[in-house]
Amino acid sequence: MSDTMNIDDYLAQGGVLTVPGNVPARYRGELMRLMSSFVDSELAASAGFADSINYAPAIKERIAASRITMEKADHAERVLAVMETFGTDAGRYQSQHDWAARLDRDADIGAARRSGDMRLSVFNYPIDGWTDAVVMNVLQGLATGVQMTELTRVSYAPLAEVFREIAPREARHAALGLEGLERIAATPAGKAEGQRALAYWRPRVAATFGVAGSARYDTLRKFGLRHTPNETLLARWDTLVTDHLAALGL
Amino acid sequence: MARFHPLKVTDVRRDTRDAVIVTLAPRDDDRTLFDFTQGQYLTFRREFDGEELRRSYSICAGLDEGVLRVGIKRVEGGAFSTWANENLAPGDEIEAMPPMGKFFTAIDPQAERQYVGFAGGSGITPLLSIIKTVLAREPASQFTLVYANRQISTIMFREELEDLKNTYLGRFSVIHVLEQEGQEIDLFTGRIDADKMTGLFTHWLDASAIDTAFICGPEPMMLAVAASLRDHGLRDDQIKFELFASGQPGRAKAPAVSAREVVPGTGTQATVTLDGATRSFEMPRSGQSILDAALAAQMDAPYSCKAGVCSTCRCKVLEGEVEMAVNHALEDYEVRAGYVLSCQATPLSARVVVTYDE
Repeated sequence: MSDTMNIDDYLAQGGVLTVPGNVPARYRGELMRLMSSFVDSELAASAGFADSINYAPAIKERIAASRITMEKADHAERVLAVMETFGTDAGRYQSQHDWAARLDRDADIGAARRSGDMRLSVFNYPIDGWTDAVVMNVLQGLATGVQMTELTRVSYAPLAEVFREIAPREARHAALGLEGLERIAATPAGKAEGQRALAYWRPRVAATFGVAGSARYDTLRKFGLRHTPNETLLARWDTLVTDHLAALGL
Repeated sequence: MARFHPLKVTDVRRDTRDAVIVTLAPRDDDRTLFDFTQGQYLTFRREFDGEELRRSYSICAGLDEGVLRVGIKRVEGGAFSTWANENLAPGDEIEAMPPMGKFFTAIDPQAERQYVGFAGGSGITPLLSIIKTVLAREPASQFTLVYANRQISTIMFREELEDLKNTYLGRFSVIHVLEQEGQEIDLFTGRIDADKMTGLFTHWLDASAIDTAFICGPEPMMLAVAASLRDHGLRDDQIKFELFASGQPGRAKAPAVSAREVVPGTGTQATVTLDGATRSFEMPRSGQSILDAALAAQMDAPYSCKAGVCSTCRCKVLEGEVEMAVNHALEDYEVRAGYVLSCQATPLSARVVVTYDE
């Protein structure tokens, strides 16, 4: 049974790749792009959330924010370790950027990335206070949950395994956010503040799902790096958000 | 970045007509570097006609054997495997990177697991390491191996597998599936495809009892086995894959370099291929990288850090000459083969042809 098949056909039929040595060049480029987007986003999320620890109103919230800050950095490190097997200089990579850097709150960059930094556009916006941090974490946490249904299925097995380890902890971050939001929404003042933060973050998180009918999606689909189109994932997230917010009276 | 270290060949044993089993020993100082986990592989390098080739081979030894051992099956036209089969002898030295790979699950001495392994041809090598380790270190676990080959004479480790069956009576079983040889049971003749898998699940394997499945073999077999395992209710995290290296041909061609002298400061005619589409455009000789020029030409070229660190933007120079400002990611052998980081590369010649597809 030594007969082989074209690697593109293999991937299109759901095949799995296992080592840097057997990935085709274009696949490598897209896989690296996917991984660096995740690493940069987690590092930026961790750096952005670090300030929120001091916004926390009480010890319980302080612990939750610390945990999220720490674990997002840990998740970045795990995926960066996979990039390292492809030659990435991990030491230099993590010191490349000021991950805490943010644009103005009013900047409108749509879904654009900043030069040389692949973090999702939403991580370029600054967090403004505790309620803002919690709302951002809930919306982005639910988005990550939806994205994880894709990431845990990527055709590069060592990366899919890392995502399967990460997924439950990311889900816990979203759950911590929902617990926090429930406490905030318990008062009329908190509810009003929450509404304002939702109005700010909801379109910005929605933009990270990318455009409908994306050409890159087709490429990624062919490689088994994606399975569900942007618009479907976005709709799934939107329903999830609406349901959770309704339960909190928001 | 992982580095190469010399290993001493201590034994070379012929296993089949086309395969040798090579035992290796690291230097005393490197011993801990070469501690491995069952199912991992070693990457070797050697120069052939002035060009470096790298090949990965799975370790076939179990953790308790105290040695480093790989099985190398000769591939038609394969420079490295042919050399290893015909020339490698005890006393030789060969350079290897420390063990890598994630084709394993954690050992738990208390576990009572049911493992099943699917191997095609030389895909047996990492599985043998896993089988030996699991049987020795998880005394209550059981392992079933489904092993596909063309014919009896090409079965690697045939005797060793028989010995294991006798040592671990009742805990280890092997089903040989032979493509070209009739057997008493029809099901065991032919290739492992969807029908064969259905047959195995109907008569020989209980899918609901399987904790973890390992698959290592050629692509069509991996697809058929994985699809069937999923159809029978296994989750993705219960299926471990190792696709053995078929991606690389015998040897890479040296890049055609034709640097033409041109007046400094004038532009360069750049031709860039991405996803099979080729675009040509004029770009400046300095101040703009090939990546930025491609992006400016509306090509969706991959990149991330733009600092020569991550290697997402790697492309291959097919014609002309370029220069990289910095390179923290590509190794010397990749650069010699014509690869550059397009975010750091500016053209030196009047014409440059690069591709992201190779």
